[in-house]
Amino acid sequence: MSRVILVVDDSPTMRGMVSHALNEAGFETKEAENGKDALIKLTMMEVGGTKPDVIVTDVNMPEMDGIELVREIRKLAAFKHVPVLVLTTDNTDEKKEVGRAAGATGWLVKPFDSELILKVIRKVLPQ
Amino acid sequence: MNGDYSKFLQTFFEEVTEHLSVLESGLLSLEKNPDDVEVLNRIFRSVHTIKGAGPMFGFTAMSRFAHKVETLLDPLRNRKFSATRQIIDLLLESADCLNMLVEAAKNGTVIDENKTVLDLEARLETCMTVTAPAPGQKPAPGPSSAAPAPPAPVTSARQTYQISWTPGEDLFQRGLNPLKLLEEMGRLGTVTSCVLATSRLPDLADLDPERCYLSWTCTLETDYPRADIESVFEFTAPPGGLTITALSSSSPVAQSTQEPDPEPARSVVDKEDDRRLAEVFFGQKPDSLGAILVEQKAVTPAQLAKALDRQDTLRAKSKEQKAETSMRVDTEKVDKLVNLVRELAITQSMLSALGGHFEIKHLPILQERLLQLERNTQEIQERVMGIRMLPISTAFNRFPRLVRDLSAKVGKNIQLLISGEETELDRSVIESIGDPLTHLLRNACDHALEPPEERVASGKPEQGTIRLNAFHEGGKICITIEDDGRGLNRDKILAKAIEQRMITGNDTLSDDQVWALIFRPGFSTAEKLTDLSGRGVGMDVVKRNIEELSGIVTIKTVAGRGTIFTLKLPLTLAIIEGMTIRVGEDTYIVPLLSILESIQPKADMVKTLIGKGEVVNVRGVFYPIVRLYEVFDLQPEHKNPAEAILLILETEGERVVVMVDEILGQQQVVIKSIEENFRKVDGVAGATILGDGTVGLILDVRGLVKLARQEQSIAV
Repeated sequence: MSRVILVVDDSPTMRGMVSHALNEAGFETKEAENGKDALIKLTMMEVGGTKPDVIVTDVNMPEMDGIELVREIRKLAAFKHVPVLVLTTDNTDEKKEVGRAAGATGWLVKPFDSELILKVIRKVLPQ
Repeated sequence: MNGDYSKFLQTFFEEVTEHLSVLESGLLSLEKNPDDVEVLNRIFRSVHTIKGAGPMFGFTAMSRFAHKVETLLDPLRNRKFSATRQIIDLLLESADCLNMLVEAAKNGTVIDENKTVLDLEARLETCMTVTAPAPGQKPAPGPSSAAPAPPAPVTSARQTYQISWTPGEDLFQRGLNPLKLLEEMGRLGTVTSCVLATSRLPDLADLDPERCYLSWTCTLETDYPRADIESVFEFTAPPGGLTITALSSSSPVAQSTQEPDPEPARSVVDKEDDRRLAEVFFGQKPDSLGAILVEQKAVTPAQLAKALDRQDTLRAKSKEQKAETSMRVDTEKVDKLVNLVRELAITQSMLSALGGHFEIKHLPILQERLLQLERNTQEIQERVMGIRMLPISTAFNRFPRLVRDLSAKVGKNIQLLISGEETELDRSVIESIGDPLTHLLRNACDHALEPPEERVASGKPEQGTIRLNAFHEGGKICITIEDDGRGLNRDKILAKAIEQRMITGNDTLSDDQVWALIFRPGFSTAEKLTDLSGRGVGMDVVKRNIEELSGIVTIKTVAGRGTIFTLKLPLTLAIIEGMTIRVGEDTYIVPLLSILESIQPKADMVKTLIGKGEVVNVRGVFYPIVRLYEVFDLQPEHKNPAEAILLILETEGERVVVMVDEILGQQQVVIKSIEENFRKVDGVAGATILGDGTVGLILDVRGLVKLARQEQSIAV
């Protein structure tokens, strides 16, 4: 069974490109438009008895941003161990620290390099 | 850039176009409510997205500029200071500039050291420093290159480091595996020792198996710089949780923690930014071809960036053609269509089941199914056409900005009120109405609305109002542009028309005929020429544009109170509502839009007037008659108007009566061009396939009016 990755980004371009890169590498992807949407998708997956193996999220999004999403995910029993990679243009140490404190697993900087994302994802993938 | 993302280029441009319009409308609404955080957040996100996605396609100039804009927007949305008029002006200018950069990217033009861009960037920076003396925000590194720069080992000497790592207790909860990180570190060189410290382990009773109480101390021999080791563990340890000590080293730096170094001990300082953009906390290194080349010193990073830039530009160029011909459709619309097609398939299978063993007693069922089929087909047709529909806001969006800029230019206080922007119409029509609407709005701002003093003097509010409204009316779309200005001046127009020899002083014209004069080529009453309008080109172009869309323009005006221009346009250009008519053996289609009424005249209504040819008197008004059989050289059933049927048609405010044998019925027809396949035929606008499979010609009402006029002049 292929691994499932949830891609959260409000930009359809970004979402499409990240998903494309992951699909090419054989991952199955689900997409969400923002933090809130991601939580809905996660709930739906939980109901269906599945969960994503990794979550890749943008930070700046309407409704609920990526940092808040990480915080929410860490509160959910079913998902708190899912690695969450933050994919953002923010590159400052303060922002990273905020992300780390929120419980993010990793920090990727846009513009992204698909090989890099894949390497990181393979690394954090649960066994 | 690695991977084939070119297919996302179009999505990107579509998205960016949306973001640009969000930006502009957001800025305009900010002008009214400078502290609307919601709007500020929205426009910030838009700019942020452009900044983030741009470099994926190599649009570095666009991204860098977006970053500068974002830097100014950030303190605004964090309420550090408020958006003043100057700031909004600057931001609007920046939005234009961003638009230009996007257009350039679309066309594959490389904008490097553009003066406008540089100038604006400088002004944005000045604005930041002037408004917020201590921005407290170090400008994030601009994505100066789309290429991930290589973090090649900079220090040539092999060094030995002692690394003591105490990860945060939440390590496992964050989905991290310490073993993998240690292995990762191992890949940087040789791990000579690795000691696990268990001192933090609590008593078994207190132990939470989900927490990490362990820490490690390792010795690593490596060619890589300290920063690379740091990045392996980046994010995994709380501040102070990572200590890297150089054991045998020529470097003067003896120790560093994960806390930011004042100055990394690396010679290529400006490469630092690139590395950080492409690298994540796990310290993975991209190994693209470019990176390898740079590593081997075959090319300089600058050369690489340039080459990549060019590569991307070329790629963008090759996609350009495609981007123009495709369109974005609301998924909801597609879903509905898919449902309908499913229904159609069901109907079809029911019909074939019925046809398999058909007995005459099943006839009522057959009729019912056929009716269903008809409904399905009709609905599908409507939905498919609906896919081509866009809300007219796509065309209206640019007008608030236009009016804002114009009012500043002409020194008038003007408000634009828009309503009905959700009205949908065909996207090709939307694309074509932008220009005529722009012109009408410019005219309203420039000529129709009086200067403030004059308005106050005549008891009007100082602020002039232009209303732009769109609505559906009987299968057409109406767009009205209404101003509360001075209204059209009949005497002035007449004087001008006489001066231009369009009419003679002896002509008696109705008001409508006078207003129509302003649409004549070369007509202008403006006393002084401004840079906006008044050059006498324009209104005729407006009219021509609208007519090319099979639409009409009408004017209503009251002196001193204002003017309303009404544009009536078909919802789509591909399908028209037609009336099928018959002349002899032949069937023609008349666009329903142009039919005013049909009559069966009495013999005494038809007269031949000297100088006017054959006319019919309808309630006291005489209209010229065009006998269709004469135009197309047919054998008619009736040659006597009293036996035939007369259709009163209108186009461009002129009326003509067309004589036909019979009206067959109303039908939607898909227009096929004759000109494209054959050549232009006078009096015929196109062709279509009729219900029985034969070809029917669609009459060109404008052409018929012209024909009628020619006959008149021959008769003279």
